[in-house]
Amino acid sequence: MMRRFLPVAAVAVLVAAGGLSATAHAAKKLTIVASVPSLGFPFFVHMMKEIRAEAAALGDIELLEMDGQNSTPKQSADVEAAITRGVDGIIISPLDSVAMAPALQEAVDAGIPVVTIDRRIDGVPGILAHVGADNVKGGEAQGKFIKDMFPNGARLVNLQGQPGSSPAIDRNKGVHNVLDGDSKYQIVAEQTAFFAREKGANVTEAILGGLDAPPDVIVAANDDMALGALQAVQEAGLAGKVKIIGFDALPEALAQVRDGGLAATIEQSPGGQSRGAMRALVSFLRDGKKPDKLTLLSPFAISKANLDKGERLSELK
Amino acid sequence: MNDRRFDGVEFTARFAPYLVLVLLVVAFAILEPRFITPFNIFNTLRQVSVVGLIAIGMTFVILTAGIDLSVGSLVALAGLAGGLVAKGGLEDRFAVGTAVDAGNPVWLAMVTAIAVGMVCGALQGGIITRLRVPPFVATLGGLSMFRGAALLLSGGGPISGFDAAYVWWGKTRLFGVVPVMVIVFLGFAALAHVVLRYTQFGRHVYAVGGNRSAAKLAGIRDERVIFLCYVIIGFCAGLAGFLLSARLNSAEAVAGQGLELDVIAAVVIGGTSLFGGIGSIARTVVGVLLIGILRNGLVLLNVSSFVQMIIIGAVLVAAVAFDQYATRRNPRA
Repeated sequence: MMRRFLPVAAVAVLVAAGGLSATAHAAKKLTIVASVPSLGFPFFVHMMKEIRAEAAALGDIELLEMDGQNSTPKQSADVEAAITRGVDGIIISPLDSVAMAPALQEAVDAGIPVVTIDRRIDGVPGILAHVGADNVKGGEAQGKFIKDMFPNGARLVNLQGQPGSSPAIDRNKGVHNVLDGDSKYQIVAEQTAFFAREKGANVTEAILGGLDAPPDVIVAANDDMALGALQAVQEAGLAGKVKIIGFDALPEALAQVRDGGLAATIEQSPGGQSRGAMRALVSFLRDGKKPDKLTLLSPFAISKANLDKGERLSELK
Repeated sequence: MNDRRFDGVEFTARFAPYLVLVLLVVAFAILEPRFITPFNIFNTLRQVSVVGLIAIGMTFVILTAGIDLSVGSLVALAGLAGGLVAKGGLEDRFAVGTAVDAGNPVWLAMVTAIAVGMVCGALQGGIITRLRVPPFVATLGGLSMFRGAALLLSGGGPISGFDAAYVWWGKTRLFGVVPVMVIVFLGFAALAHVVLRYTQFGRHVYAVGGNRSAAKLAGIRDERVIFLCYVIIGFCAGLAGFLLSARLNSAEAVAGQGLELDVIAAVVIGGTSLFGGIGSIARTVVGVLLIGILRNGLVLLNVSSFVQMIIIGAVLVAAVAFDQYATRRNPRA
């Protein structure tokens, strides 16, 4: 599979290009579908909000917002409905990188430009562009943060995401990429908590009960699980002794980073991705400008030291 | 179904789902002309095929006053089993987008998926009839066990990139219009309709569900009938799991989560009673179509997905409430 990793600078170019085209756009009303895996997760609500804001800023766009409700058949059906409607373009964060391919192939075959955000689609060469973050790199950022925090080694608990989902697989891979092969870093427990806060708390509680000594670090594949783990750690009287690292930089996680509950979280700029995708699509539709096939933002760790880099910090009041 | 003088409520109760279906189609067609295009109609039919197939099996089970909560998990397990057979193992499972030579022919994959479904169905049927575990509990256990087995089998990741013969079942439209999945669904529905209405077994299903002790006294082997109904729904879930994996060109352990609720909703909206003995395949097909068309139409009209969920839930409750009202008014209806 072809993979190119473009630096963050590429995004800046994209942003600039989008800005130019916005000022010179022809007044053609566009109908664009935005589809996310599930609006039950705040992460995707934020993504949708940013898409909506960018559409409003660009002007003359009718945005059809669709919610995959965490079901591939539902999201496929939404894409098919979009084809039926004959929309001008589709921006989608596919729930599943493989299972969404047939429906998106149909969209491409119908001549509808498709831009993917955050999660990629496999096996559909006709996709106009992908704007996303590399989840493997995000996992690696977690691993590097742990190494920086504990240069002399650490005992870790790894809370994995929904089995089978691509962010869960990739983030887990990233963590292992950095820590495997270094015997100083020992993963003493590794369990899935299904990306859910309640499960994060329960699983952590069970793990803490089964360990002779508390771990140094709990690394979680998303913030919800990290916040659940934080709760379990506090209840076990280990607050501050066990460092917890989340992923996604949700506002609540940023607040916990600020207040010392979480050691860090990973920012992968979903808002930047969403806006970039919308600009790329609209500039293609209005000006025929072909966007870069692949734009990957590099996720990075946010700790107390660089809290101001959190995209959603402004939501903390 | 004997002749009696005309009763408006009973008439409506009997034909309400059909009436609502027609009204809905007309309304959507007026509000959004693209709704009625062949492309959209067959898309919608294909979208409901998986739920529809299982709903047919669920009708048998619910007619015996049973329930099967495990079908969503079973769809995932059966689809994975089929996918593994097609691939000939776990290697190569991430090979995507290219036609990989199949490890085994597609018919073997399909038979495997169906066999897994039937074995799991038989297992649950046995637990229910022999060990006297209530269907709700037995299949709740199955929901968890089959999902766990699917995760174990797949190691968490998807199996994808099937060959053309496999994908044919999910992708191909005969004559360029009618998806194969739709033909399988409607063909199976016709078969199930005949079995339920015109065979001795079918009559026994109604008898056991209507009054189990009376059926027993009449010499019907009630446990055998119930057992077979769970094997039938296992067959349906197995076949549906295979078709879903063909449609998505991937089999994954997380497929079909919450599917059981969609299936039960479709059966109940059609007017099949959860208490057993009342209902039919035709009603179930109508229930499946109602939900599918409602979803499709609301998406085409760009109704917020949150509002869609409220509407579908409300339709479910209204359908059952009306059924209850009609039954209470005329207990013999």
